[in-house]
Order: sequence, then C-alpha cells, then structure tokens
Amino acid sequence: MVTRWWGGTAAAGGAVAVCVFAAMGLGAPGSTATRAAAAPAQEGNIPYDGRFTFVRIRTDVSGGLGSSIDFSGRGRRGRGQPPWAHDYPRAERNFAKILTATTLVNTYEGGSNILTFDDPELHNYPLAYVSEPGFWWMDEAEEEGLRSYLLKGGFVIFDDFGGMRDWSNFEAQMLRVLPEGIFYDLSDLNPLPSVFDSFFEISEPEALAPPYRGGWPQYLGIFEDNDPAKRLMLIANYNNDLGDYWEFSDAGWLPIDLTNEAYKFGVNYVIYAMTH
Amino acid sequence: MLTSLFEFLFKYRPVVFQEGDFSLGVAGAVATGAVVASLVAVLALLTYLGVRGKTRPLDRLVLGGLRFAGLAVLVFCLLRPALVVSTVVPQQNFVGVLLDDSRSMEIQDYDDRSRGAFLQETFGTPDSPVLSALSDRFAVRYFRFSSRTERIEDFSEMSFMGSRTRLGPALERARSELASVPLSGLVLVTDGADNSGEELTEALMPLQAQGIPVYTVGVGEENFQRDIQVSRADPPRTVLAGSSLVVDVVVTHTGYEGETVSLFVEDEGQIVSTEEVELPDDGQPVTVPVRFTASTPGARAYTFRVPVAVDEQVTQNNSQTALVSVEDRSEKILYFEGEPRYEVGFLGRAVADDDNLQLVVLQRTAENKFLRLNVDDGEELQGGFPDTRAELYAYRSLVLGTVEASFFTGDQLQMIADFVDKRGGSLLALGGRNSFARGGYAGTPVADVLPVVFSDADARPDGYFARIRVEPTQAGLGVPALQLAGTEEESGARWSELPLLLTYNPLHRVKPGATTLLQGIAEDLPEEHVALAFQRYGAGKSLSLAVQDTWIWQMQLPLEDDTHETFWRQMLRWLVDGVPDQVTAQVPRDRAEPGESVVLTATVNDSSYLGMSNSVVEATVTTPLGEEVELGMDWAVDSNAGEYETDFTPSEEGLHTLTVRAYAGDDLIGVDEAYFQVAPQRSEYFDAGARTPLLERIADETGGISYTPETVGALPEDIRVTGAGVTLVEEMDLWDMPILLLLLLVLILGEWGYRRLRGLV
Repeated sequence: MVTRWWGGTAAAGGAVAVCVFAAMGLGAPGSTATRAAAAPAQEGNIPYDGRFTFVRIRTDVSGGLGSSIDFSGRGRRGRGQPPWAHDYPRAERNFAKILTATTLVNTYEGGSNILTFDDPELHNYPLAYVSEPGFWWMDEAEEEGLRSYLLKGGFVIFDDFGGMRDWSNFEAQMLRVLPEGIFYDLSDLNPLPSVFDSFFEISEPEALAPPYRGGWPQYLGIFEDNDPAKRLMLIANYNNDLGDYWEFSDAGWLPIDLTNEAYKFGVNYVIYAMTH
Repeated sequence: MLTSLFEFLFKYRPVVFQEGDFSLGVAGAVATGAVVASLVAVLALLTYLGVRGKTRPLDRLVLGGLRFAGLAVLVFCLLRPALVVSTVVPQQNFVGVLLDDSRSMEIQDYDDRSRGAFLQETFGTPDSPVLSALSDRFAVRYFRFSSRTERIEDFSEMSFMGSRTRLGPALERARSELASVPLSGLVLVTDGADNSGEELTEALMPLQAQGIPVYTVGVGEENFQRDIQVSRADPPRTVLAGSSLVVDVVVTHTGYEGETVSLFVEDEGQIVSTEEVELPDDGQPVTVPVRFTASTPGARAYTFRVPVAVDEQVTQNNSQTALVSVEDRSEKILYFEGEPRYEVGFLGRAVADDDNLQLVVLQRTAENKFLRLNVDDGEELQGGFPDTRAELYAYRSLVLGTVEASFFTGDQLQMIADFVDKRGGSLLALGGRNSFARGGYAGTPVADVLPVVFSDADARPDGYFARIRVEPTQAGLGVPALQLAGTEEESGARWSELPLLLTYNPLHRVKPGATTLLQGIAEDLPEEHVALAFQRYGAGKSLSLAVQDTWIWQMQLPLEDDTHETFWRQMLRWLVDGVPDQVTAQVPRDRAEPGESVVLTATVNDSSYLGMSNSVVEATVTTPLGEEVELGMDWAVDSNAGEYETDFTPSEEGLHTLTVRAYAGDDLIGVDEAYFQVAPQRSEYFDAGARTPLLERIADETGGISYTPETVGALPEDIRVTGAGVTLVEEMDLWDMPILLLLLLVLILGEWGYRRLRGLV
C-alpha cells in the first residue's frame, strides 16, 4: 500500500515552484531568447560524483523514420538541431534549479550529461531523458543497452513527440527493446500510478496542454512484468513536450501556470525514479 | 612400580609412613639407646686402636665406621621401632562406592574392553580381590550415578545408559545418605568426564569439613588414539525462512593428521551442505564455516556430521544436532531517508520479493514533506518520524539514511539510542552527505550507539568524497550477511570484482568492541575506510554502512547478477535476526531426555520494552502425540522484571512445542513459541577422555588417594590406614623391615670386602 503525507508549509507545491521560478528571475517577459540562439554546443559530461545529474540520451536518426528527414534546416523537425537535442541545454539547466528549489534532491546544477544507450557510463544515472523519440532509431548495442538499463532499475522519460507517425516509430523501437512490453495509458489506471503523486499531486495528468502542438496528451508507460502494481520502467509524454516548457520557463512565452505544471511532472518523475 | 619397591623394602606403603607417628618400643629407649651406642662405639674404637700391623689410619677409620654402623642398625632394631597409626575398626565403618553409570563407560579403551568392564571385574564380582578386601574391612554401600544418583544393592542394577556425568551431585548424595553412619570414605569409580558444567567446589567443601576422604579410581585413556569429534556447532536458535546461514563447526581429532574428511549438514536426513575439511595436527581443533539456507519453516533439527573413519574408537561423537526455529513471518523494518536518492528505490526493490521482510520507507522529499511506502495503513507514520517509543519500538530494525541530526528532537535522538539499547532493536546507519560527522551526530546519543568513531573535526565541509573498493575483512568473511557465494573463496572472489562505491564519510576507526566487516580502499588514499562496522550495544546491535550508493552494484553489474539483491536481503535479515518481541518464549536447554526436567522461561515487556512483572503468563506444552499440557508461569522474585519461569518433565520422545501467552488484565500482550527435543543424549561421548587431573584434585582436596586400574589393589588397605570413622591406635613394627636386614648385610659385606681389598684378612 502506498500513501502519502503532505506536510504543512510545503504542501502547496505549485506555489513553491512559482516562488522559485520568480526568485530565479527566469520568467521576465519580453526575453529575446530563441531556440536557435541556444543551439546545442555540447558541454562536457560531468563525472559521476553521487549527485543527481540530468542525462539526455543522444539518439541515432540515421535509420527508421529519421533517415528520410533533413534535420539541418529550420523546418518543423529541423531548426538546426538533431531531434534528441531539442531544448538542450536550457531545459535541463532550468529543471535542475527547480528540482533543487523544491526538493532535497542533491542535484548537480552546473551541467548535465549527454550519453547513448550503449554507453556503460549511463548506468551511473538511473534516470534518462529522450527527446523526440518519433525519429529515434537504435543499433543492436543500444537496444541491448536500453533493455539492460530498464530491467536493472533505470527509468526513462520520452518527451516531445506526437501524432501517429511518431508513435508508430517510438512503439516499434520500444518493442525491439521489450518485445513483451505492454503500454498502459496511465491516466486510465485507477488509482493513478504513484508517479503522479510521488511529490506533487497531479490528479489530471492530461490537463496539461502541449505548448505548441495539438492533440490530446497521453502518458503511457510499461511496468515491470507488465504489472501496474510494480515499478514503472518508462513514461512516454505522448502529444506533449515538457522540455519546451522547461526551456522557455525563463522566456515568458508560455503561461506560468502551465510551466509550473510541467515542472511538477518532471519533479515527480525524479522522485518516483529514486524511490521505486 | 616405585610404590611396590618401597613397600617391599619398608614393609608398608608410603601412606602408612605419612599417616603414622614414629615410636620406639623400649622404655626410656632414648637414654638406653644412647648408652648402648656409646659403649659399642667405645668398644669398636678400642678394638681398632689395638690393631697394629699394615693398617693405615684411613683403614682404621673406614673399618671402624662400618663396624659402628652395623652395630647401630642392630641397636636400632633392638629398640623396637614402630609406627603408631590410627586405623579404622574392622566392620564398624562404612565405605560408599560410587560407580559411574553413564554412557561413556561403554567406550572401549580399557585394554580393548569397555570402561564398564573394569567396573564389573573390580567392583561387580564377589571374588574380586579389591571387593573382597573392602568387604572384609568395611560395610560397603553402592551408588550408581550419571545425571542422577541412586543407591543400588548390587552391580546388576548398572546399565551404563546415563546421559550425563555429574560428579558433584553424586558425591553430595552419597555423603548425605551416609551421614548417620561412621563413614571411612567414598570411593569414586569413574572416567571423570564430568559434563554437567557444575562447579565441584561446593560438593567438596562439606566433605573437607567432615574429614571424609574421597578415593578416586580413574578408568579410560586421557587421549584417544584415533578419534574424530564434531565438538561444536551452534547455529542461531531462530532464523527467518530463506535465510543464509554460516555456522562455525569445530572439528577435533587424534590420529588422522593430514587426512581430508567430509563435513555434511543434514536437514531431517537430507544433505543441504558439504564441506571438505583437512585435519590439522593431533589435538588441534579446526573451525569450519559451513553455509546453507534455512528454507523450510518450522522447527528443524540440523545435523552436522563427519562420517565414521577407519579404526575410530568413539563413533558416537561424529555428529552434533541443533534445533533451529525457522520462522515464516514478516519482520518490519523502518527505513528513514532524509533526502531523495536512488538507494531508497533500489534497496526497496532488492527485498520486494522477500515475504519475510517488510521495508517501511519514510522518505523526506522536502523540508517537512514526506513520502511513505509500504505502510500498513493510512495512520502509520502519519506524523513523520516516530516521536513516541511505542511507535518506534513497533519496528524491529531502523535504517537511518542521510539525515542531519538537527532534524530530530533531543528526545528522538535518545529514543533511537534506546531503541537499540533497551528495546533490543538493530540500527543501520547509512553513509551520505548528512550522515555521521557531516550530519552533526558527534556528541549525540546516536553517536554513542554507533560502532564507528568520529568527531566534529571529521565533518569535512569541503565536500569530501572518495571512490572505494569495498571488500570484507577477515572477520567479515565469516559473517553470513556478507556471503555472496556458496564458499568463502567464491564469495571473496565476487567481492573483489564489485564496482567501486562512493563515500562521503571519512571513517577510519571503530570503537573498542566493534568490528570492521567491510573495508573501503581508495587507490589514491593511504588510509582504509571503515565501510561496514558492527557492534553489540545494550540489548541490540548497531551497524554503520558508510557508503552512498550500493545501487551501483545493481546498475553496473550484468543484468543476471544478483549481488545487490543478495547483499541487502541478507543484511536486512541479519538486522532483524534475534530482535525480541514483547513476549518471548525460551527453552534455555532445548535438548533433554525423557524424565529429565526442562526449564521453560518467558520474557514479557510492555510496549516501551520495560519488563512487566504483573502480567498473567500461560504456557502450553504440546507433546509429540498432540497432548496439550497447561502450565502457569510465575515471575521469579530474584530475577529481572518481566522474566517468568516454570519447568516441565517430558515423558515422550520427540519434538515438544512451548507456546507462551501473556496478558495484561484481559488484553493479550503477545504470543510466542519455542521448541525442545526430547531424545537420548549423546553428550557422554563428547570430550570423553578420562580426566585424571580432575580426579587427582578431588582426592587431594579431601585427603583421599587417586588410583588407576593398576594401583587400585591397594585401595582397601589404604582406606584402613587413612580413612575416617571409628578408629583405633595400632603399632606397626619396623624392626623387621627388609631394608634393615639389607643394610646390615651391606655393611658386613662392605667391611669384609674392604679388608680383602686392602689385604688385611
């Protein structure tokens, strides 16, 4: 049985996020920041030192759906960045600050890591983030690496994808990794999986509208042994883009309330991954 | 041999000279002797002064001396020398003969016959010289003794089936039974292999006070020529089902040096573990750690056995059987973690499939914000960390994650210390950035409990961390919780292959009495870290595991590797092992023979684990045939608060179950079970070599004499001279001692020979 006790002053988690959000001076309207200006000049990875360090997965787009698309332009999928790097590094930097401000997680704020699924170093970080899995493709080493990572206890967030085309590609890749896996629509489960109340209580996950795209957000996941009573191994923010919210939380382009909600998801995912 | 020669030369045994007073039989003997001696000396001198011729002064001196000595011997004999001895009056005194009736008397080490055969031929046969002589002089009363002592009329009542040898009670019983008659002494015929564990001094004191000598007759070899013995195997009395056990089995031997034997562990006849043992030098014990899993719930009798070797003299001491209560229940452990970190999730997952462990997690996620996992209901830990002893003491163990000491109130810190000290719970403190010195624990009650030494100076605000290789110390290799494989070698190899771990806590010393079980070695640091330390504290135990991330083992090792799960499952099982409930049933000695009284005890505590001496305690013994015997248990006034006791005398062989229920008024406080096995015991065959020094001590301290089968023939005469009871004074002539005749002959022949040599004949 899992129950939660909500302490007094900090119970209003959203308020905390807003306060910190304001304190960080991130949300000044009229910011001139643009995605192009934040192009991913990759910083060096952080050696493991015991702190929580955000890990973004560098995926391959040379096969599958991504092989027919030119990501070098500034079209919908291009914007000068490969899909896996969208929102890098500002999304993770901002998220790390919020995580530190709202929780007691010992977080590395000054940087983050970019790793591949077949990198042994990934196993020092049991939570990983994948952006735009609609174009994701893996070789066999990555496939084996991800399978091992998930089954050992790793937790992966898939974000920033939507539409049947993206889903089909993502599902196909995941079934290569976990052929026996069954995707559960987490919003349909009763009670809601504890990933939605591990820190903040998110009673209506689908209420958070995607920042740009259309479609009805869905949160899908695969449980250990396909048993919803067991550990959730991955979560797919289908038809949503938390990374965008995080990236632009200091730009003032997106509503603060929605941005706060997007942070709640991220904080919950981290706390869930650490405690389950 | 020397005694026999002495007796031949001096007519009597040495003991007569020790006991007797010297006297001369002629009145005014001293004066007369002096006059006669002077006359003889003068005559001898005159005789030799008159001699002339070839003699030199030296010749005259030698010959005069020899002649004078010869005459002195004759004069000594004429003075009727005698020993005045107090001897017992024939047939007016009693002698108690105590015969060892224990099983060890069946051991065949008396001229290839049993020890009992010696008893039979010496004290069980009417025409035995010893028995005849004793019967001629004394009224003899016989006793047989083993675990009990009884009067017997004749030897036919001996069975050699006694389960224990209790020398003290045997002597006390014989003394008290013969207290009303003149008692010359007690004869104790035994191998001396007392296995009662009782102090002999108390039994000897009244014998010394009353002047009753004990004559001991020891039979059997002190050291067997060829024997292998499983001397000790002490598994825990209670374990959780599925627990891995490492039991130290002590094997001793004589005569098989260098040979390799197999040591089997059997669970109700089924072999569950085997170890090969190379036997060391004769008499040197070897300790063999044997590993097995207690998988079947219930009372299990584990047998540790070495097969009988060729030509073994004692075959009954090759195995030991121990009763283990394998319990299939869920033990609650509270894990309080002060910051979200992966250790929580991975630890919980490692033991999630263990039905015998309930890991309740209280995770602080933000200031004053908590996440509860695996709680029984919505009220459990609703207020955060327990602030009453009753709430905290409901758990058997506490895992303290990285949380600063200032989080707790002073009372909560003291409560954590009392949890170990008073409640008997176990504490495992994990490393982290807010643990130990870095968490401000120096000087707190919790620091007193922990096995490691640290001070505020160790806090190291510089963000110290090190990557360490964690490996067992010599002590750690024998700890069941740290066994990662079936054998010590395989386990050690697995430890050496584990990925490095992080530590934020530079701990390097343990407290006196604490033990370092895992050490952490960093390549670039000279000093070893104390990674895992253990100590007993008060009624409980405490451990420190000063690392940040054992989950690395799970993530870095291959998918199929189960090191992380094994480590934590065993560690948490070790934590809860031996932690008492409010009501605890115990059988201090869990093996007995039919008819032997068994002590049953219970401990009853209130919810704060203070002993309750006013509760109603009911004990039920369920016999192997299913009969339930109700017994009341009383608080013994001279015992500690909350300790109750009763006894039970079983009549059936087999497994008996003790069920204890304790009530406060009408409210049931708790129920507990314990087991004991009723069966013929084999303890007589262990360490069954004759104990000659013990028997000599008994004889010395009571004024008796110690004998062997070879010397026992002198026993009747010695008792006559040295015994107590009704005595008379007897003069024993010494003039006819063979030594005097021999001395006279030597002197005369010496004088003649000297003359021949010097040509004076």
